[in-house]
Amino acid sequence: MEPKPQKKWGMVVDLDRCTGCEACVVACHAENNIPTVGEKEAAIGRAMHWIRVERYYEGEFPDVRVKFMPVFCQQCDAAPCEPVCPTFASYHTDEGLNGQVYNRCIGTRYCANACPYNVRFFNFYNPVWEKPLHLQLNPDVSVREVGVMEKCTFCVQRIKAAEIQAKADKRELKDGEVQPACAQTCAPKALVFGDLNDPNSEVSRLARSNRATRLLEELGTKPKVIYLQRESWHDEEKS
Amino acid sequence: MTKKSPNQIADDLLRPLFQTSWRFFAAVGILGTFVVAAFATFGYQMYTGIGVWGIRRPVFWAFDITNFVFWIGISHAGTLISAILRLANATWRRPVTRCAEVITVFALSIGAMFPIIHLGRPWLAFWLIPYGSERGIWPNFRSPLVWDFFAINTYLIGSVAFLTLPILPDWALVRDKAAGWRKRVYSILALGWRGTPKQWNRLESAMHIMAIAIIPVAVSVHTIVSWDFAMAPVPMWHSTIFGPYFVAGAIFSGIAGLIIAMAALRRFLHLEEYLLPIHFDNLGKLLLMMSLLWFYFVFAERLTVWYGNEPSEMAVFWTTQRGAFAPLFWTMVACNFLIPFPILAIKKLRTITGTVIASLGVVVGMWLERFLIIVPSLARKYSPYSWGSYQPTWVEITLMVGTFAGMVLLYTLFSKAVPIISIWELKVGLQKELEVRSQKPVASGQLPETRYSGQPAADNQLAD
Amino acid sequence: MKKKGKAIYGLYHDPDAAQRAVDALREAKVEARDITIISSEPFEGYEFGRLDHHTPMPWLAALGGLVGGLSGFLLATLTQRAYPLATGGMPIVTLWANGIVTYELTMLGAILATLFTLLVAARLPDWRTKIYDPAVSEGKILVGVVNLQEDSRVEIERRLRDAGAEGTKEVARI
Repeated sequence: MEPKPQKKWGMVVDLDRCTGCEACVVACHAENNIPTVGEKEAAIGRAMHWIRVERYYEGEFPDVRVKFMPVFCQQCDAAPCEPVCPTFASYHTDEGLNGQVYNRCIGTRYCANACPYNVRFFNFYNPVWEKPLHLQLNPDVSVREVGVMEKCTFCVQRIKAAEIQAKADKRELKDGEVQPACAQTCAPKALVFGDLNDPNSEVSRLARSNRATRLLEELGTKPKVIYLQRESWHDEEKS
Repeated sequence: MTKKSPNQIADDLLRPLFQTSWRFFAAVGILGTFVVAAFATFGYQMYTGIGVWGIRRPVFWAFDITNFVFWIGISHAGTLISAILRLANATWRRPVTRCAEVITVFALSIGAMFPIIHLGRPWLAFWLIPYGSERGIWPNFRSPLVWDFFAINTYLIGSVAFLTLPILPDWALVRDKAAGWRKRVYSILALGWRGTPKQWNRLESAMHIMAIAIIPVAVSVHTIVSWDFAMAPVPMWHSTIFGPYFVAGAIFSGIAGLIIAMAALRRFLHLEEYLLPIHFDNLGKLLLMMSLLWFYFVFAERLTVWYGNEPSEMAVFWTTQRGAFAPLFWTMVACNFLIPFPILAIKKLRTITGTVIASLGVVVGMWLERFLIIVPSLARKYSPYSWGSYQPTWVEITLMVGTFAGMVLLYTLFSKAVPIISIWELKVGLQKELEVRSQKPVASGQLPETRYSGQPAADNQLAD
Repeated sequence: MKKKGKAIYGLYHDPDAAQRAVDALREAKVEARDITIISSEPFEGYEFGRLDHHTPMPWLAALGGLVGGLSGFLLATLTQRAYPLATGGMPIVTLWANGIVTYELTMLGAILATLFTLLVAARLPDWRTKIYDPAVSEGKILVGVVNLQEDSRVEIERRLRDAGAEGTKEVARI
């Protein structure tokens, strides 16, 4: 039997389903021990939301629409953040993820400058969880110290846990078995996660849609997050 | 202009080493205070976190890297003046070379501190050194920051060698003229230099090879520093012009720094008979040329961007030209071109005072140029949702002021320990001048009426 | 290793006199390596200033550059192969990028080789007592003979004086 091809984790974001509720943002904070930086720090732009929901207004009144776009690490296959890291803290795993190794990071912040999507976040101070929030920390995920860069990992701890379980059970991973916190929480199912190398997975099927597009594709970063959206909201009048 | 004998020259140039006024101690005290304050501030920053700076998403580099590039740029003064003028046999360089080489070594040392200062975890900076670590990992040789490490270290070692080798004969001179503890110290420093023909020959050979080697190193250093930006897909960073642009800008700011340093030395060490108006005139002409070159590069880059009309690049373009950064941008153009150009182009204005004013403007303008390369591009990076701004905090300003104070302090201490003008090279210059005048080989002190008149011979008379 | 012996030298006001002295010493069959000349500036226009002119320094600098360049190339390439970490869709061994490290270490090798050759050839540092006079720093040129044999001492002293020495001095235990 032919060996199964290497996994290539990807995500599909259906912008026509996203309601902008930002439950994914909260779930990500909870799952990944992301600190809340406080009002003063957030005001100067140091908030650390590994997934953020960007809000755009399209059109002129009375024909105005609001577009919500969840943006997180695109796990680029030609990631510009990877070659610039002097200590290999940012590197490409063989499952297609852009790995961020906190222990190697010395905080040059070059990767954050190189990232065209602005999805990398820096620990400007040592994170603080005021009691009793410290009880909510996820034991599967490390807490980063000051001076270290961090970003969305596609909940790699969940991926690894599922892979270890599947190996112990001597079976393959099923499509949909691994759910990052954001995808798990999304009520309208706008976020779909899976293996892009598996042509039968939900993610691959959706990626083949005629509504599929990628962010900043012209930069050659080869992002693995596919956004689905109609060409224009006015399409729904035509269709 | 009084005519001086070689021994009088030696006495003049060694006077700062043997006589110290209260002004020296006052200067050291004041400058030292700023330096200590900067160190203390760095300690505070290391303890608390980079959060005490003004950087934020998406502007992750600002004052730190601006200062880094600025100081590395200033360090290109020594190379140009010393190495290129040595190789071109330009005789007017002789009083100027050591002043320039000192700037290089100190500016480079200060600049090289910034990559460590700007780290989120500076205590791990040693991971940039390639050694077989127990973590089973080496530095990433694809990263421009690792190239920086190699380039800056090579340039630093080369510059230190380039500076200290020709000091040896002068230290021997001080050793012979000094007494007491000074004699002991300079005996050690002079390494037992005596002045045999073999030693002189080897020294001059070494200087010649180093002059040839250090020029491509200097070019590569600032090119690699520019590639810290050009290798990232950031609008108006990712440009092929960055390499040459930065090298030209570095030489530009370096010459300006040198003119200011020379003017200060002339004033405070009473070197009016050695650092002459002709030196400032010649350097002023070089500064003018670099100002034109700088303008050419900026114009070429901006015109190309404007024609390209690429949306993400135009966002950066307009924010510098008409938007939030416009006041800084136009100040930079004034300081780097509009003000220096008439001062340096009109001979009557190209006096010592004139060139110093132009140079002060250039130093300010070039600092602004570094800032305007880094911050507006990061503040207007692609998705408008993530656009941001930047404001420095007292920590960054203290660190920056500390580095300027540190540079002046190091220079002051150096000129107290080493003759700031190379005595033996001046003697050689005298000797060659007299050879030309009498059309045969001659010693510098032979004929009583031939003394150092302060006027360098016209270059077309000399056959070196 | 030089045996400690006697030495004698004279101080001269100008290089013409120093050249006469050197020529006179050669006529007296003093060995070239026993003649010592010391000055506070190089005298390229005179024959005595061009002694020991030939040096392999440029070749050694080139050799140093070669060694440095090879080290740089091997450092980058072998470590990349030993711990292969993919970044940015680039190959594991990036020859263009490795070229930069190779170049820098080439230049560093050339510079260090030059420095090392200078120190070795000029015999620095060397703080042992050697034939020297602080008057050299006043602009005088010292011409002397080391390893002075007792039987030739008078002759050499006469020749040094005849060439125009401002004073001769005998030094023991050089």
